[in-house]
Amino acid sequence: MVEITHLDASPDTRVPKASVRAADGTAAAATLGLNFGSAEQRGETLVVRIRPDEWYLLGDGAPAMAAGLDLSGFASTVDISHSRTAVRITGDCAADTLSKLGSADFSDHMTPNGAALGNGIAGVTCDIVRDDQRGVRSYLLLLDGSFITYFLGALHDAASEF
Amino acid sequence: MSHRLPAPLGDVIDRSSVISFTWNGKKLQGFEGDTIASALLANGEHILGRSMKYHRPRGVLTADFWDPNTTVQVDDEPNVRASHRKLADGMAVSAQNVWPSLKFDVKAANGLVGRFLTAGFYYKTFMKPAKLWPAYEHVLAKFAPGGSVDLDTPHGRYDKRHAHPDVVVAGGGPSGMAAALAAAEAGSSVMLVEHEHQLGGHLLWGSNDDRAAANELAAACAAAGVEILTNSTVAGRYEDNWISISQRSHPGVIERLIKARGKTLVGAAGTIERPYVFQGNDLPGVMTSGAAQRLIRMYGVKPGTRAVVFTANESGDSAVEALQSAGISIARVVDARAGEGITSASGSKSRVKRVTLSDGTTVECDLLVTAVGWTTPTSLLNMAGDRPVYDADAARFFPAGPPDNVLATGGMIGDGSRDELIAHGRATGELAAGRAAVVRHRLQAATARAAAVDGPEPDYPADERTPLDRAQHPELYRSTTHGIVDYSEDVSSKDLFSAAGEGFDSVELIKRFTTATMGPSQGKLETVNTVAVLAEARNETIAEVGTTVWRPPYAPISLGALAGRINEPTRVSVLQPWHEANGATPILAGQWVRPEHYGDPAAEVRNTRTNVGIIDVTPLGKLDLQGPDVPKLLNLLYTNKWMALPIGGVRYGLMCAEDGVVLDDGVTARLGEEHYLMTTTSSGAAKIWNWIEMWLQTEHPDWQVHVTPVTTGLTSINIAGPNSRELLGRLTTDIDLDPTAFPYMNVRRGTIAGVQNCIAWRIGFTGELSYEIHVPSGHAVHVWEQLLDQGADLGVKAFGLEAQRIMRLEKGHFIVGQDTDGLSKAPVTGLNPLLKLDKDDWAGMPEVAWTMESGDHPVIVACQPDNGSVVPEEAAQILRAGTTEIVGRITSSRMSPTLNRSICLAQVTKEFAAPGTSLEVLLVSGERITATVQEHHAHFDPEGARLRG
Repeated sequence: MVEITHLDASPDTRVPKASVRAADGTAAAATLGLNFGSAEQRGETLVVRIRPDEWYLLGDGAPAMAAGLDLSGFASTVDISHSRTAVRITGDCAADTLSKLGSADFSDHMTPNGAALGNGIAGVTCDIVRDDQRGVRSYLLLLDGSFITYFLGALHDAASEF
Repeated sequence: MSHRLPAPLGDVIDRSSVISFTWNGKKLQGFEGDTIASALLANGEHILGRSMKYHRPRGVLTADFWDPNTTVQVDDEPNVRASHRKLADGMAVSAQNVWPSLKFDVKAANGLVGRFLTAGFYYKTFMKPAKLWPAYEHVLAKFAPGGSVDLDTPHGRYDKRHAHPDVVVAGGGPSGMAAALAAAEAGSSVMLVEHEHQLGGHLLWGSNDDRAAANELAAACAAAGVEILTNSTVAGRYEDNWISISQRSHPGVIERLIKARGKTLVGAAGTIERPYVFQGNDLPGVMTSGAAQRLIRMYGVKPGTRAVVFTANESGDSAVEALQSAGISIARVVDARAGEGITSASGSKSRVKRVTLSDGTTVECDLLVTAVGWTTPTSLLNMAGDRPVYDADAARFFPAGPPDNVLATGGMIGDGSRDELIAHGRATGELAAGRAAVVRHRLQAATARAAAVDGPEPDYPADERTPLDRAQHPELYRSTTHGIVDYSEDVSSKDLFSAAGEGFDSVELIKRFTTATMGPSQGKLETVNTVAVLAEARNETIAEVGTTVWRPPYAPISLGALAGRINEPTRVSVLQPWHEANGATPILAGQWVRPEHYGDPAAEVRNTRTNVGIIDVTPLGKLDLQGPDVPKLLNLLYTNKWMALPIGGVRYGLMCAEDGVVLDDGVTARLGEEHYLMTTTSSGAAKIWNWIEMWLQTEHPDWQVHVTPVTTGLTSINIAGPNSRELLGRLTTDIDLDPTAFPYMNVRRGTIAGVQNCIAWRIGFTGELSYEIHVPSGHAVHVWEQLLDQGADLGVKAFGLEAQRIMRLEKGHFIVGQDTDGLSKAPVTGLNPLLKLDKDDWAGMPEVAWTMESGDHPVIVACQPDNGSVVPEEAAQILRAGTTEIVGRITSSRMSPTLNRSICLAQVTKEFAAPGTSLEVLLVSGERITATVQEHHAHFDPEGARLRG
C-alpha cells in the first residue's frame, strides 16, 4: 500500500516553507548546520540541507526560524510557501513507486531516513526528503506548485500496482 | 490434440486446464502452459509460417524464443513469437505474410525465380531508372514481411522502472541460478533475469535429476530473496553496468523496461544450439536437438513419427532418448563423431520426407533432428568491450576477458556436468557479490546523503575461480550442399558465397550486404554459421574472419516499452480552475495550460482598450535575485546598463547567448538595496535560471548573488486599460498610484485586496495603461475575484492569451522565439540603443559588435498589407518583387480589432526595411499580395501616450 497526500491541498494544510541561502562561514550556515543531503526535525520545523549552500525550512516553525536567522555576511531567505508544494508518499512500496518515475537509488543504504536529494520524478524536478512516519517509510517531495495536477496523476498512476 | 504425448511427458503444461484458440480460423485446443507453437504441433499443424523472401513453408526449428520460423499474428498484434508466447484462451492466431493462405501462398512463386533474387538484388535491380522507383516501391511493399497493424488498436499499457541491484544475473540456467543464490547468500541484492518462462535452462528438458535440481535451485533463489524476472531479457549493457531489461511478465502491462544500475553483471546466458547448413535444412520437420527435447519433455508434443538424428554431441544423444521415450521410431542415428554426415533433405511442400547421407544412402523419415554444436551468446560481454575469440577445438567462440565488473559463467565460458556448472556459478556469484560490495562501499562513501559506511573498504576480490573445461567438438557448420543460413532473412550459404565472390570479404560488410544476422534473431542462430561460410568461401579460418559486433538490444524490445508511461509534465496557475469554470478555451503554451480566450478574443481586445481587462500571466518567469553583486550580474547578462537602477525602478533588458543571438527578454525591478526581481519570457524561465547559475558558478563564483525561482509562488495578473488605475486603486490603500508617485516603469510593494507582500509593476505589454501585480499564489483567486467584483462598473473583463497577442502586435512588441529565431542576433530587433557596446563586456557582445559593424543582418519591421482585409499567414515568405528570391518572412500577423485591418511584424533584409517600402508577400494559396513597411514597430499609439498616461 502507498498513501499519497498533497500537503498543500488547501490553505488550512499549507506547509510554510522558506529557502535559506547562506555561504560557508556565515552565522546562518552555522546555525542551520547539517551535512549536505540530510534533514533533521527541530521542533516544528524540518530543516533540510538540500544543496551545499541552501537549506529548506519546512513546517509551522519555518517562518519564525527564518526570521530569526542572522543574515549577516552573504545569506538570504525567500518565502517559498507558495512556490514549492509538498507531497508526501508513505508506505512500504513508496520507494518502489518513486523508482518507477525517478532514477535515484532509494534503498536504505543510499537514501536512509533523514536523507535529502534532488531527482527528476515523472519529468518534474523534485527535492526529496526521506522522512519516515512512525517507522513507516515515507518521502516528502517538494516541487514547483504549477505541476501538481499533472504530478499527482503520474504518482497515482505509478502507485496503482501496489 | 492428435500429437499430444501422455504424462509424465509435458512438465510445463497443465492438462486440467484446456485452452481454446483458433488457427487461421480453425478452432483448436491446447493446455495451460503451452506455447502457441507447441499447441499447434500438438494439433498436427506443422507449417507455422512462410519464409520472408521465397515464401517457403516453415515449421518449428528451435522451439524457443529464438525460433525464426514461427512468427505469427495474434489478434491485432503482428510478429508474435509463437515458440515463446504462451497460449491464452480465445487467441485468434493466424499466419502472416501469406496470400491467399498459409498452405497455398501465391508469393511462393518467388521461389521459382529465386536464383535471380540473390543478395543485393534490390540494390542492383531497382535503382535505375530512378523515375520508376515509386512504381517499384509500390509493388515491393506488397511483399514486405510482417503482420498487419490495426491503427485503431488502443495503445496498451507499458511501464518503466529503475533499479539499483548489487548483482544482475543474465540467465537462469544452473550456473545463473547458482550465481544468484551465492550472491544473495553473501548479502547482495540480486536480480536474476531469465529469457524463458521458467528458470532452469537446459535442465528443464534433461533427466529427472536435472529437473529436480532446477526446481531446487529456483526455490532456493526465491527463498534467499533473489528478485526473479522470468520471461525477461537483459537487452543491453552500457557504461558502468547500466543494464536495460525488457520484462514481459509484469502483471498489468504489456512490457516493462527496467533500467538497472548493477554493481556487477553476471553473464550466464548459456549456449544456443546452431542449425546445420545443408540443402533442405528449412523444411518443416527439420529441427535442433534442443527443440525436439523441449517439445517432448516440456510440452508433451510428438514432433514426428520416424526420425533421423544427426548428432555430434551429448545433446543429440539425449534427443535420441527423448524421441524413443515419445514412441518415435528412430530411422537412423548419423554420428558425426564417427565421420558420418548428411548432405541434404527433401520432401513435400509440407515437411521433410527423406534424408540423404554423406555415403549416398537415403533414409525415409518425417523428422530430422540435428545436434551440430553451439553458439556462445556473448552479446552482453561484447557490449562491455569484450571481443570473443574462436576455439577451433571446441568449435565455438568464447569471451576473451570482459571488464572486472562483468563476469561470465556456465556455458558461455566452458562445459561441464550439472554439478560442475553449479559449482562455477556459485563461485561466480560469490565473486560478483564481493566486487559489488566494494562498489557499494565506494558509492556510499562518495554520496553525501548515503548511510555511513561500515568499516574500511573491503579488499577487491581477485578472480580465483576454477575454470570450466572446454569440451572438444567437431567443427560442423555446412555440409557439401547449400542451405539456409539466416532463416529470418532467407539468406542462404549460396548467397554468402556469391557475396564473397563479389568482394565482400569482411563479415561486417557481408552482413550488411546480404542482411544475414539482421533479422529478429539478431544473429543468435546465424552469426557463427555466416562467419563459417564466409571463411569457407574465402579459404580462411573462422578465427581470421572473426565475428560481427553485437550491439544492444540482445533481443528485440518493443517501442512501447522504450517509451514507457507517457509522462509529459504540464503546468497550470492556481487560477486555471477559475478560467475553466468561466468558459476559457485552453491552449498549451510550452508546458503551461493557459486560457486562450473566453469566447471572443476580439471583444476582449476592444474591452481592454475601452475599459479595463485582466489577464493571468503567471507563466511569466520570475527570479528572485539577492546579493550585493546583482547589478554586476545584470550588467553581464543584459545588453544595456544596470549599475544605476534606483530602488523602485524597472528596466527592460535584452539577453543574448554568447553567439549574439537573442536569448530572452524581460523586465527587472529593484525591490530593495540588494534585492531584485527579474522576469523572463514564459518559456525561458528555466533556461534563464540555468543560464544565470552557469555564469555564477563557472565564471564568477566570487560574485555574491542568490537566485531563487519564484514563478509559481507569485501569481501574476496584468490589469490593462484606461480604467486600470481606478480599478487597482479600489483594492489598495498603501500604494500611491498617482502617476507622479508611481510613474511608468516603476515598481511598488504593498497590500492588494487585503493581501500583503504584493508587488505592483507599472509596465505593459498591451500598450495600455497597465499594472502587473504579483500576488502570493495562495491568495491569488481571492485577488482575481476581487478585481472582477470591484471593477464591474468599470467594465472589467478577463482576457486571454490571444487578445494579449493581438494587443502586443498592435503595439509592435516582438516575442522572442516568434519574431526572432535561432539565428536572430540582437541587432535584428532594431533595439540598437539598448546594445551598449561601451560596457566592458556582456554575454554576446563581441558577436553583436561584429554584426553591427558589418550591418549584414535582417531587421524586424512592422508592415501592413495594402489590402487590410488580408491576413498573411505567419511564416509567409516575403519575395523580391516578381522573383522567387526570398528577402524575408512574416513573423506575426493578426486582424487588429482596434484598427480594423490586418497588421504584421516581419523580418526583412535591410534593403527592404525602410519605412514606405513595398513588400511582396507570398501567401500559402500561391497568391502574392503587397504590404508596406511602417514608420514604427507600433501600429497603435506609437507615441506611447496611453501607456504612460
